Amino acid sequence: MKIDLQMAWRNVWRNPRRTWLTVAAIAFACLILVFMLSFQLGSYATMIDSSVKIEAGHLQVQAKGYHADHEMRQVVRDPAAVDRVLDGIPQVEAYTSRATALAVISSDQRTYAGQVVGVDPVQEAKVSSLESLVRQGSFVSADDPEGALVGDLLANNLKVKLGDELTVIGQGRDGSVAATVLTVRGIFSSGIDELDRTTIEMPLANFQQVFSMGDAVHEVVVVGKDLWGVPAIQRQLTARLAGPGGGDQSPPLVVLSWNELMPGLLQSIKVDLVSGLIFYVALIFVVAFSILNTFLMAFLERTREFGVMMAIGTPPGRLGRLLLLESLALTGVGIGAGIVLGCAVTLYFQAHGIDLSGADELLAHFGISGRMYPRLSVVSALAGPLLVLIITGLAALYPALKIRRLKPVEAMRHV
Amino acid sequence: MRRKAPRNGRPAGGRRAFGAVAVALLGLLVGAAPICRAADAPPDPSVKAPDGNALVRAAFDHYRGKASSGTAEMTIHRPDWERNMTMDVWTEGDAQSLVRITAPAKDEGNGTLKKGQDMWLYNPKVNRVIKLPPSMMSQSWMGSDFSNNDLAKTDSLVNDYDHRVTETETRDGHTVFHIHSTPRQGAPVVWGALELEIRDDQVLLAERFYDQDGALVKSLTTSDIRLLGGRVLPATLRMQKADKQGEWTELHYTKLSFQDSLPERLFTLTNLRNPSS
Amino acid sequence: MFSGLTETGRRAAVYVRIGWRNLWRNRRRTAVILTAIVLGVWSMLLLGALMRGLAQEMVDNGIRTLTGHVQIHAAGYRSDPVAAHAITDPDAVTATVRRVLGGAPWEARWIERVRVPVVLNTARHTGGATLVGIDPEREPELSFIGPKAIADGRFLRPGEKDAIVVGRALLDEMESELGHTLVISAQDRHGTVVSRAFRVVGVYRAELEATEKRYVFVPRQAAASWLAMDGAVSEIAIELADYDQADAAAARLRRALGSEAAQAEGPGSSGKAALEVESWRQLLPVERAVFDLYVGFIQLWYVVVFIAMGFGVVNTILMAVFERMREFGLLKALGMRPGAIVGEVLIEAVFLLLLGTAVGNLLGWASVAALSVHGIDLSAMAAGMEMWGLSRVVYPVLSRQDLVLANAVVLLLGLVVSVYPAIKAARFTPVEAMRRI
Repeated sequence: MKIDLQMAWRNVWRNPRRTWLTVAAIAFACLILVFMLSFQLGSYATMIDSSVKIEAGHLQVQAKGYHADHEMRQVVRDPAAVDRVLDGIPQVEAYTSRATALAVISSDQRTYAGQVVGVDPVQEAKVSSLESLVRQGSFVSADDPEGALVGDLLANNLKVKLGDELTVIGQGRDGSVAATVLTVRGIFSSGIDELDRTTIEMPLANFQQVFSMGDAVHEVVVVGKDLWGVPAIQRQLTARLAGPGGGDQSPPLVVLSWNELMPGLLQSIKVDLVSGLIFYVALIFVVAFSILNTFLMAFLERTREFGVMMAIGTPPGRLGRLLLLESLALTGVGIGAGIVLGCAVTLYFQAHGIDLSGADELLAHFGISGRMYPRLSVVSALAGPLLVLIITGLAALYPALKIRRLKPVEAMRHV
Repeated sequence: MRRKAPRNGRPAGGRRAFGAVAVALLGLLVGAAPICRAADAPPDPSVKAPDGNALVRAAFDHYRGKASSGTAEMTIHRPDWERNMTMDVWTEGDAQSLVRITAPAKDEGNGTLKKGQDMWLYNPKVNRVIKLPPSMMSQSWMGSDFSNNDLAKTDSLVNDYDHRVTETETRDGHTVFHIHSTPRQGAPVVWGALELEIRDDQVLLAERFYDQDGALVKSLTTSDIRLLGGRVLPATLRMQKADKQGEWTELHYTKLSFQDSLPERLFTLTNLRNPSS
Repeated sequence: MFSGLTETGRRAAVYVRIGWRNLWRNRRRTAVILTAIVLGVWSMLLLGALMRGLAQEMVDNGIRTLTGHVQIHAAGYRSDPVAAHAITDPDAVTATVRRVLGGAPWEARWIERVRVPVVLNTARHTGGATLVGIDPEREPELSFIGPKAIADGRFLRPGEKDAIVVGRALLDEMESELGHTLVISAQDRHGTVVSRAFRVVGVYRAELEATEKRYVFVPRQAAASWLAMDGAVSEIAIELADYDQADAAAARLRRALGSEAAQAEGPGSSGKAALEVESWRQLLPVERAVFDLYVGFIQLWYVVVFIAMGFGVVNTILMAVFERMREFGLLKALGMRPGAIVGEVLIEAVFLLLLGTAVGNLLGWASVAALSVHGIDLSAMAAGMEMWGLSRVVYPVLSRQDLVLANAVVLLLGLVVSVYPAIKAARFTPVEAMRRI
């Protein structure tokens, strides 16, 4: 076996120029695949993270039925207990509490129906990216209980600017009339029409007071360290909330993941992934045929040599194996080089980001800033090259099989 | 045979009070517009099929007072929760009404004013008057099972529907008319049909609201029929959504009186904000 | 056969014949690299066409969903689309449009609409939507709504007072049905809230569910009288011969309307535009961005495929050249100039590339044509497609630019990379060559 390997390796380098060109083709394909796949997967992670961080978070703890009905009385009665449970789950990065109410929002000139959200000024910034989307003024602050953050479309409709007053009248948790006056301290623009057109945010403590919530909230929003750890968090959270540490739960609590909160998001990613795959497969086939000639030539131009070897007693099977080893060595070098280069390029852009300034509005639509970051992972680094290996392996198989049918005498006479 | 209501001796204005009050608070009553026969026409035993439209108009006129004032208690009931409110109500004509909440203390001073199709809301804590935008008009009034719209469109029942008596029965010594109401061509109402049950003495017993597929959406039932402000009226009305048995809102009148008119300044935004009476 | 040609011509003809025959000396090798080129060109064209189809569809859809190529509104309408912000004298404006854009190359067609936000009510639901008052006979020529879009019931007839056509998704959301009435409230031109019952005479389907949930259609006269428009309209939408003309057309129109307004007001006019004229590029920024992104991606794809293919082409020609080392050495010894040898090799390369691109083009064109019939149905991923703003069925679009670019990349760049082996061939010294077997 050892001699076979040595022979294979030396044969590969018999024609360095040809070998290098072939290796380059394979390496190029692998580089492209590694980078593009990292880019795609990275962009999905970015997309999901951005979309969920604007509002939904990775997970939410809510009263059962709240997601469907959104009734004021469907509260998380003991958010402190939920917080304690969350503290004990390592994959959790940050969490915050929110409460929401429908209200009539009125400025000097106009009145609109909208949604008032009470947020924790300190914790909310760790969970939601909304703070970074504030275009004018500032985020809500604990020192300013009557300050409000208003969506830009809503501010437009209400014809208010920073410093103007808004009257908010709605229904409290106990059904009583809840009313307050807030001052516009900040204006945000998330790019999501519905959010910008209907939402104002205010400090949670004041919300709880105005809307007679007591200590209760409607949602505990959780962000994990990364997207992949979310199912684990969901499992642990559900289990512990059902246990004694869950606190007072009437109504009972459920844990919803971002996938359940934003159903279209996952499928939109599948669409993109599938379309990407089609391109990758097409590319690999082009490369396969590009390099097929190398494998063919390696066989065809050495016909006499093989004839001689067979004549002196080398079984055709071994010859076939030899050829295969050569091809695999060649491919291996190419793939190896491709993976290394691909990782290098990906890691570079992973650190610096790619500036897609041309697609600003598009990305703002999804709540993503102008820079995209590819994300290198085991999957993205190896999946593409693996596919290349398989397909080029198949291409290499062809001449290897042909060898078996070689007749030594004819072969030796081959020019 | 219908009995003549003991109203011959009443002042003309008194007839119309109750309807106005109920309408003001429930709007449903708007739709509920009680059906009663024409105020002045004596019951004629020889009249065969009563003219539904005329009945409703008469009933509506009967309910509607020239002006009225009174006090009512509202109970909002849910499977796990209940809330009570007390309120003072003034109405004038078809189009104007003022409601002010007097209890519980938390909500005291909140009020709604309706003039024509417009409705304003006042909250003493923020001391602001807000005009309700069109998109809020189908939302519930103060969390009850009645909507703001119910309040705003008072004379809808008379003008927007064609009424037809479908059945007459006797119940507890009274003749009860079952009336089927269908929206007129072009009328801006969301209901597919209404069904009303009216007693011969103009007391509304029930009103049911059907959607355009014929399914029941909500129903209003009345009870506790007695003398109020000198007239025989149901003191309690309950509104219930058809598909939510454990949820209803009940309105109960504790005090009611009728007048020929009320001061115009009562139905102004200024008064909404600063009660002077 | 070549008697009519000059000496150079004759020599060239000989080289051409030789080049063609050389190509087929090693059939299998040529076939393999040809396959690579064919696959490459085919995937360039087909996948590029699919991408362009997607992007184009997105833009077309946006334009057909009432946007048109250019729109005219009263100032302030875009930020507050209420009835009060109306174009008071639409006839004067359309006269200007006819004057400025009526003839070639614009071939403008236009339509007036009344468009306001409304609240819809049914027995169980309340929702918001946009009411569009259209001319039932002319609107279908310019936008997606018309008898063809109707899935159930019928389209509007001019003069109907209370007929309305609603999107399937909205109707389902409101739990309403064909034949039912919807009570619609809006602010009329004076700011008064008015309500009216409309009867659903038709249900339409649109590319995107979002469209179905947003727009409800009534005859324009009905909307105008209900909202007390008094002859005014909310918008004028214009369609041109080509969507690329939109920006230029909008600029011309803006100038014409602006100067007319100034004239009308006389000396001392404020000069401030009373009308806003915008092209689809300004009205549909997201679609525009996606379109540009996709086009950029197509170009990138071409380059990537070429590079993948290019290695193989160089390698193959190199192999062919080395195989014939003795031959080239001999030719050189016989006096053939190096330039001629380079030319010889290049001619072979040209044949290879031409053949490959020809077949690749054929396959690409055929597959695009085949898929254009029914498109690729992605309804299984409808929710995901909707999130990207794409329609459920994808049709490939082979544009002239893409065709030219793909072929140029392969042919020209292919030729460029073939220069390397060609030069190598020309460098064989006769002595080296003849020493090899």
